[in-house]
Amino acid sequence: MEEKFEPKIAAFVCNWCTYTGADLAGTSRLKQEANARLIRVPCTGRIDPVFVIKAFENGADGVLISGCHPGDCHYNAGNFHARRRWTMFKNLLEFVGIDSTRLHFSWVSASEGKKWVSVVDGVIDSVRAKGPFTQFKKLNKEHEIPVQTGEGVSTK
Amino acid sequence: MEELIISTENFKKIVKELQEKEFRVIGIPEGENKYQEITVEKELSLNSEAAPAGSSFKEYFFPKSEPIFFYKQNNGSVDLFDPIEDKKGIVVIGAKPCDASAMPIISKVFNWDYKDDLFNKRYDSSLIIGMSCHYKDDYCFCVSTKGSPENTKGSDVFLTTLENNYFKVATITPKGEAFVKEYGKHFEKDEKKHNPVERKEAIPEHFNYEKVKTWLDNNFENKFWDTAGEMCLGCAQCAFVCPTCHCFDLVDEQCGSCEGRRAKNWDACQFSLFTKHASGHNPRDNQEKRYRQRISHKFKYYMDKFDDILCTGCGRCARGCPVSLDILQVVEEINAFAEKS
Amino acid sequence: MNELKQICKDVLTEKKARLIIGYSEDKNKKVKPYIARTPEDAEKFTFNHNAVNNLAVYIPRFKNHFEGKIGIVVKGCDLKAVTALIQENQVKRENLFIIGVNCSGVVRDTDKDFSKDNSQIKCKYCQMKTPGYFDAIAEETIEFELTDDDQAEMMAKIEKMTAEERLDFWNAEFEKCIKCYACRQVCPMCYCEQCIAEKSTPKWIDTSATPRGNFAWNTIRAFHMAGRCIGCHECERACPMDIPLSLLTRKMGMVASAEFGYRPGMSIDEPTLIGSYSTSDKEDFIK
Repeated sequence: MEEKFEPKIAAFVCNWCTYTGADLAGTSRLKQEANARLIRVPCTGRIDPVFVIKAFENGADGVLISGCHPGDCHYNAGNFHARRRWTMFKNLLEFVGIDSTRLHFSWVSASEGKKWVSVVDGVIDSVRAKGPFTQFKKLNKEHEIPVQTGEGVSTK
Repeated sequence: MEELIISTENFKKIVKELQEKEFRVIGIPEGENKYQEITVEKELSLNSEAAPAGSSFKEYFFPKSEPIFFYKQNNGSVDLFDPIEDKKGIVVIGAKPCDASAMPIISKVFNWDYKDDLFNKRYDSSLIIGMSCHYKDDYCFCVSTKGSPENTKGSDVFLTTLENNYFKVATITPKGEAFVKEYGKHFEKDEKKHNPVERKEAIPEHFNYEKVKTWLDNNFENKFWDTAGEMCLGCAQCAFVCPTCHCFDLVDEQCGSCEGRRAKNWDACQFSLFTKHASGHNPRDNQEKRYRQRISHKFKYYMDKFDDILCTGCGRCARGCPVSLDILQVVEEINAFAEKS
Repeated sequence: MNELKQICKDVLTEKKARLIIGYSEDKNKKVKPYIARTPEDAEKFTFNHNAVNNLAVYIPRFKNHFEGKIGIVVKGCDLKAVTALIQENQVKRENLFIIGVNCSGVVRDTDKDFSKDNSQIKCKYCQMKTPGYFDAIAEETIEFELTDDDQAEMMAKIEKMTAEERLDFWNAEFEKCIKCYACRQVCPMCYCEQCIAEKSTPKWIDTSATPRGNFAWNTIRAFHMAGRCIGCHECERACPMDIPLSLLTRKMGMVASAEFGYRPGMSIDEPTLIGSYSTSDKEDFIK
């Protein structure tokens, strides 16, 4: 029986709002899908778009970026800077062929455990429907260990 | 060996046979100016009047990025895996003398203190069919670097253009002789006595190499270097299109959490980080010094070490340079200084 | 170009600048960048349809050790790069002596003569034939008419493709890349003393010229140009592999203009796009 595809989602979340919100979802025992791997950053302003590319290189099928609502940033304006960056980066990635079904953004505050669950489940469902990101994974071909005949040489 | 000739049409038949025998045939297709693999869609063109291709064919022997080994971390130790060897032999057809003559030159550095098997395996099993050149522009200077448009150095078989799309065939090495023997049915005797195509303009001698070398031997601190390379932007275009530039960088790259590869990538002395030490000190910390290095390596250091000029005068570095920095003009200036003193 | 030569000679004689970066023609009639430090050097200056280079790329190189102003000969498009550098505090306006030239287009194929068909893509939609501001201007002009913007067709074609087709298209282009970094070195806005591609721990962008490394490099460079690229197309001209880089940078320019009404390099006092923010920036794509 063929294994059903389960997407890998890399979620870059800010420490003060979204990470805390996700934690709240956990402590409230809210049921959610387990496909998202959270990467905690101090603020969405820290997120360099190169992180997104790196996530896709490392096997992510989708990326979610989430932070504090505008006006609530722990560092005052980090998310405002990030918001502008995301408009430019989202348009660039769409132009290059990574469309918005694979790259998502959200504002989730520390008290929005339920919203976190609905955002994450929504992203997972949309990436699952889109399928694995084989087109990008093909780029890794030259970096992967080629199929060998026999064992490798061990340094043991 | 008696004189043999071959038509372009028959050469295409040889190409087909080579491809059936699983050789990689490299040449310049019709209408293009890049050495690439000849396929059904991209037919071989043998045009001796064409300009040198935009870049050399060294990438088929010394790829822009190639794995040396792959690694996988395994419970405290590391397993190493060899890259899959490309067993296809390479046949280059229609190489200009300025490209073909570069191969024995760089082979010396790849067989110096360490025998580079990655290069040698490809080069030793290859066949290079050179072709006489009928091109000239302001950037060509093969004659001044101990070369010429009819130079057979580096070629196993050498073609001289005749009228009516025929070529006179000369075998230069035993490998070349074996090739002509094997595909003998496509070659013919020159019964009609085809005339060779004459070159429209000779390539003049632009500088006296011995004088340039002597000047370089004695003028490391000369003020000339303060402005010779000041317009250079420090990209690697000249090094990467050059048939003789061979510097490389070894990098380790991760793929996933426990696996990765060590790769050998093209590198260039024009990059600002080329000589940066782990301490942070960089002995060539400005573009002027780096440009001095380029000229000195090509026209002095390689001669001192390997008895060859690390330049074949193809001129593509100058043709492609974004700021039109012309190596020939720089060396001509040096020649003028050398003549004065 | 006698007026230009005279202006440059006067500037150097009167020590209004310690050097001037301009264009000069060599013995093969090739126009290239040239630095004049004396009035005699300035005799070698020229300007014609072959003066393609964007000389603003040299400004960051001289800013660290000046004892006097830097003079620079600029076309309208080059001046936008100078303005963008001033916006980003890479050089002060008062440390530059800007010598403008009226430009009516530069060549695409430098081996052929300039004509409507042989002109840079950017010339076809140029709105700044006279530099916006300057300390001196060489008035000589040559007539030129705008013609069809054939790049706009290519942009539209890409927009119509599906995401999969676009990724295939760009990966095919990026595969050609040899990581020579000519695009970065020729760009006036790429003045970082340590480029992100040179960082090795952690290595964000592979230096290898593999499909993965090339995709990361070209995409991230395009993003770093978002709201900063002034559209001189030098990157595409410098690329030895003919990758259509200006499509990416032009897309970024179009987004900056459409979403934020921002055009880089138009005003010295304007805050940069990504360096600033507004509390009312669009966020309809954020859940």
